[in-house]
Amino acid sequence: MNLFWNRLLKKPMAVAGLLVVVGHVLCALAAPWLINHDPYQLLDMPFLAPNGQFWLGTDDIGRDFFSRVLMGGRLSLVVALVSGALATLGGGVIGLLAAYKGGLWDDVISRAVEMKIAIPSILFVSLFVTGFGQSIVVLAIVIAIIKMMGVIRTARAQGLVLVAQGFVMAARLRGESTIYIVLRELLPNIMDLLTVEFALRTSSALLLVSTLSFLGLGLSPPQADWGLMVHDGLQSIHSQPWLILVPAACIATLVVGINFATDGLAEAGGLEASRGIAGH
Amino acid sequence: MSGVATALLRRVLLSVLTLLMLAVFVFLATEVLPGDALDVSLSADELAMMPPQRLAEMKAGLGLDRPVLTRLTEFLGGLAQGDLGRTLISRAPVSDIIAYPLRNSLLLAGMTLMLALPLAVLLGVVSACTQRRSADNWISTFCLVGYSVPEFVTGTFLVMLMAVKWAWWPATITVDTQGTPWSLLAASPLVILTLLIGSIAYLTRLLRVGMIDALAGDFVERLRLTGISEWRIVWLHALPAAAIPSLAAMSLYAASLVSGIVVVELVFSYPGLGQELVRAIAKREVHVIQSIAILSAALVVGLNLAADLATLALDPRTRSS
Repeated sequence: MNLFWNRLLKKPMAVAGLLVVVGHVLCALAAPWLINHDPYQLLDMPFLAPNGQFWLGTDDIGRDFFSRVLMGGRLSLVVALVSGALATLGGGVIGLLAAYKGGLWDDVISRAVEMKIAIPSILFVSLFVTGFGQSIVVLAIVIAIIKMMGVIRTARAQGLVLVAQGFVMAARLRGESTIYIVLRELLPNIMDLLTVEFALRTSSALLLVSTLSFLGLGLSPPQADWGLMVHDGLQSIHSQPWLILVPAACIATLVVGINFATDGLAEAGGLEASRGIAGH
Repeated sequence: MSGVATALLRRVLLSVLTLLMLAVFVFLATEVLPGDALDVSLSADELAMMPPQRLAEMKAGLGLDRPVLTRLTEFLGGLAQGDLGRTLISRAPVSDIIAYPLRNSLLLAGMTLMLALPLAVLLGVVSACTQRRSADNWISTFCLVGYSVPEFVTGTFLVMLMAVKWAWWPATITVDTQGTPWSLLAASPLVILTLLIGSIAYLTRLLRVGMIDALAGDFVERLRLTGISEWRIVWLHALPAAAIPSLAAMSLYAASLVSGIVVVELVFSYPGLGQELVRAIAKREVHVIQSIAILSAALVVGLNLAADLATLALDPRTRSS
């Protein structure tokens, strides 16, 4: 454990990333007590410049912008964490199942993963949103499905190595069920890998949520959300640029922070994260 | 020679199979979703006002009352002949609606690939050769930031800097959908720059890992012992060895390129498929959404196939399987 911290502390970018993430999470948790105005109340004073009472001014329909920025990360963080967790656990179990059962199971799972990867995520989401409507639950489930594919691949590859080892054979000879072997024998062995996967999938889920909100496919108004705020700010880009800059900077710092921290943590823990990072 | 031919045929058939399964998936996705094509294309008010008999007539008129399998075969048969169907309300052929946007989006994809690949190769090689020293650290940091920041944020920052602050280009593109390719490209340096940042970051990372593996290989050590210059080893021997596994990983890049294009088009109001998609979603034009989904998937599958074929051409070992 000491070795781990020593290696981590030698990476200034990773430490900085970790601090940024912790700061963001603390702000998001404490937001309801930090805001000084109701983020949804229309104040009848649109486009105010930052002043003593409204620290970041007001937005296009006259809501306190500072309060909205503070609240704006909470929902996307929750959606990203839930879908990141679903993707990691679901992907881990399905990938191990494919590796353990082999044969037809493996073929069907691998083909389905390949097919899903061929559909760009934004189109996949738009197909679902067209039919099921735009709710936070639908959003979390669809993003979990999208982010699960990479985890299935990683878990399957690692599972194939594990299945060849003696303890799996021993469990099978004891007469343990498939579910027991996957959950109690294989899954604990890939927990360190899944931890890295969880961080990576959560950060890319966060990217996707904010992009979808920006496109009008994710969280919907009047919700305070950074992606939505950047979108709404575009109309006043010439006169009130901070309405875009502040939420955009929030998204950018949070995701960059998570990725720097994950990179450093994984390397300090002896795992190669850069191979797992599969883009958006 | 026959080994190559069977391997080629196998890859092409697999791609066709993937596309076929995708088409079925897209059809079923819009089928099992609550409400049929008519229900989702009418607003709730229109539905409530309409007498049930009239609704049934409209469904029969659109052929929606027939069994799923009949319509699926029709849908696939149409696709095979290049017929994407007609829109529900205006009855305009979908292919007419998306022809120009498709051309415009392909223009962006092609331009991005042409500019990003050479730059990514250069950066990836430099990064791998200067591992853990300052050049590599700078490039790796740029890459991590480059693909961490979503395209709509990068694009917005570029607009604020280069369009609003310095006024080099207009912030949005006003060229007509049917404008000449040249006029579109001339109006969109910021669009391409936004896409380039993400693409270069992604591809450089891919190539860096491949190059590091290749440079650690036994064959590089052997080449060094023969006294060939390091320059030749890196560019003529290690780079091809690194490029082959990187090509296979392009499948993920192709999908993220398409998503990136959709987003960037909206930031800059570039008249491509992404704009068309969002318009279609707002109007619930199911056929247009289906067609765009299938075409983009076809683009991804096509790019993957190209990568597979290039791998076959470059690496004789892959021809046996």
